[in-house]
Amino acid sequence: MARAAAQGFSWRQFKVMLRVVIKGEQHLDSTGMGIGGNESAEKRKGLWGKLGSGARKVAMGFLFLIVAALFFMMGYMLGEMGTTPYLAFSLCVVCLVGLTVLTGLYQAVNILYFVRDLSYYLTLPLSATTIMWAKLVHFLGMSLLGDLIILPVGLGCLLANGAAPGAWVAMVLAFALCAVAVNLALVIFCVPIMRFSRLAHDKDLFSRVFGGLVIVLALAVGVGSQFAFRGDGLVSLASGSGELLSGGVPAVVVGVLCPPSLLARPVIEGDALGALAGLVGMLASVAVYAAILSAIARRWYFEGVQALQGAGGKRGRRVEGTELAQATRTRGALAANLSRDWKMMVRVPVFFNQFVLSSLLMPLYFIAIFAVSGFVGVSQASDAGLDPTMILEMARSLTGLFTFDSPALVWCAVGVLVFGLFLSFSAYSFTMGVSRDGEDFFFMRGLPMNWGAYLISKFVSPFLLSTAPMLVVIVVALVVLGVPAASGAYLVAIYLGATASLGLLSLGLGAFFPRLTWDNEAQLVKGGGATLMVFAGLLVGAVAMALPALALLGCSLWNVLEAPVALGLALAIFVVECVALTWWVLGPCARHLSRLER
Amino acid sequence: MIKIDHVSKSYDGGATKAVRDLSLEIKSGEIFGLLGPNGAGKSTLLNMLAGVLAPSSGTIELDGINVVADPLAAKRNLCYVSDSPDHLLRLKGHEFLRFIADVYEVPDAVRGPRIAELAHEYGMEGELDNQIQSYSHGMRQKMMIMGALLPDPAIWILDEPMTGLDPKASWLLKQSMRRHADAGKTVLFSTHVLDVAEKVVDRVGVIAHGELLFVGTVDEMREHFRMGGSLEEMFLELTSDESPLAEEAE
Repeated sequence: MARAAAQGFSWRQFKVMLRVVIKGEQHLDSTGMGIGGNESAEKRKGLWGKLGSGARKVAMGFLFLIVAALFFMMGYMLGEMGTTPYLAFSLCVVCLVGLTVLTGLYQAVNILYFVRDLSYYLTLPLSATTIMWAKLVHFLGMSLLGDLIILPVGLGCLLANGAAPGAWVAMVLAFALCAVAVNLALVIFCVPIMRFSRLAHDKDLFSRVFGGLVIVLALAVGVGSQFAFRGDGLVSLASGSGELLSGGVPAVVVGVLCPPSLLARPVIEGDALGALAGLVGMLASVAVYAAILSAIARRWYFEGVQALQGAGGKRGRRVEGTELAQATRTRGALAANLSRDWKMMVRVPVFFNQFVLSSLLMPLYFIAIFAVSGFVGVSQASDAGLDPTMILEMARSLTGLFTFDSPALVWCAVGVLVFGLFLSFSAYSFTMGVSRDGEDFFFMRGLPMNWGAYLISKFVSPFLLSTAPMLVVIVVALVVLGVPAASGAYLVAIYLGATASLGLLSLGLGAFFPRLTWDNEAQLVKGGGATLMVFAGLLVGAVAMALPALALLGCSLWNVLEAPVALGLALAIFVVECVALTWWVLGPCARHLSRLER
Repeated sequence: MIKIDHVSKSYDGGATKAVRDLSLEIKSGEIFGLLGPNGAGKSTLLNMLAGVLAPSSGTIELDGINVVADPLAAKRNLCYVSDSPDHLLRLKGHEFLRFIADVYEVPDAVRGPRIAELAHEYGMEGELDNQIQSYSHGMRQKMMIMGALLPDPAIWILDEPMTGLDPKASWLLKQSMRRHADAGKTVLFSTHVLDVAEKVVDRVGVIAHGELLFVGTVDEMREHFRMGGSLEEMFLELTSDESPLAEEAE
């Protein structure tokens, strides 16, 4: 009875809780949402801390504006090509629903359930609905900020169509209501799941499954976009989105997930009265979902939270005797560090998804893109009456020209560098190497650690994960295309030089500026700071590859170097870079870590 | 032997002084208890001894090895249990112990029997194949202590080692500390539990406001204050804001 009596909503408690939630909770696996992304982590003190935090926010805001501007231009182009604002809005809504379904459940569960402080809240006389709404309002606010990045597609189309200011306001309001509704729908779905699903009660398993699913789907979207953005793909996508909302099963599914979307046409295309009525209808549908969510939360939220407490512990076997002796036998410093680092990376779901799974899937991504491009190319060639085997033979005859005195090989080496530069988006797996240890780093500072071996272990895992699978793809491509063995080996050496120097430079920078005071793993790899780190990888890649690229361009573009000289020089520079960077990592970086304090 | 010579530690460019000009010598064969209220500077001092923090000034020598000049050699000669047992939580118990043994280069012939012995003593035999994150606070503390005792170096530095231990594990640790000191080695530990200090230590040091207020045996402490009371009463007297020693420290 006491618990039932405590389920009523209280405004006073809500305000107190909202303040607590906004100030920052300890998430077991936060989603790193928001501009800062890691605001609850311990902040660096002093001027550098303030500058760092401010610069990060400015950079994130800048990044947001760039992406928003791109989307706006995309929308404008759509409008120029004859797409109506309603179709552009439909595209926004379909993207919103898709993205929210893709990532929203994981985020909602993190925000509502995987919070360290929840076990403490359970001891307080607070109602389930009050706690849930306080968390949800914060979650919705942050989600809405993120979702707004899609809206410029619709706004750009409005501009192209010369819409009146009222239409702009109506579209913004309609989109905001859609964003709130789809997040509410997702939480309505999530509360019973968290109450009754065993999978959801094992945080590690849940994070692994959903995080993995997100990455696989993201890659699938990447591959699918190769089709979508061919020809008039964007226009087709917009009209397809409009059709989705116009009727049938897809409209029902989208309508259930986002009821306001069903009322979008009068809001976007109707007169003022129609738009107002549509907006009121949208608001009413959001209110209905809020009421349903309140009722569900009152019944199952606390039960779900209680079910989580103490769940998920997996028991091992009893290890003793010779088995124990075997399991604890002596290893060298590198092997010990490598094993520890690998186990920590694989067993933390967020790290596994970000650094292991995505690295392993990357080659599949490229294979899929090559396959798609190849399939499209072959079908186009077949339509033109060309035999695919003849095309392969033509390609082989071209690659046969890749000799050391040929500019073709130089251009190919430039292509490898461009590819290496593209891969530098994943260089943050090196940069985060030391940061991944968090507070454990300071535990190891008390041990007689070999910091050189420690750093090498931080290099080996991501290098093998990111470079080796791609290397297999590259070698297969070289063999299939019939590149001469010596030239192929040279290109492989350039690829290894580029990735090794990039990895070493990123690792060293990460060792000099580690982030060790995060509350949870997801803070490190998600959110604003991590996004910046990904883009910073591009800059690091450019620095690592600048000199060899200049040597190659000296031949291919400026004709100041002979091809063999340029090729030799580029490789020599990579060798020198790798040697110098290895010395830097094992010397100054290792010394820096051996003295690093909290 | 631990020799601390005029050691200070400050943060924020000298604005916060955690340890002030502290000098202390702890002899081999001695168990030394460091007492002090929260925020007194105990953990900072122990972190400096363990090489996790560098002193702002002064020198620290462990068996004649300067901790700052040769940290690796100094660390091989000591084991350190910090005030939090939440480390390397994703490793299983035996993986953690293997990692520690590898770092300290404990030979196979020693580590196997020692791990089995420690696991048996601390009642952790059935838990070694579980990840440390699944352990209770007390079990994590036991694992940290097992990791510290596994290489059996000459100097033990333990920060609040009894916290969370069950009575048997606490008794075992005290026995181990006694045996270690009786073998001519050094034990330095901090504690809030004054009864523990009273029963285990050979000498005690009281630290407050970053300064060492008293060093001596418990009997000398009693004599010093001529109270004849419990250690708890003396401790409260020493570390209170009204204490003349504390005022000197200010």
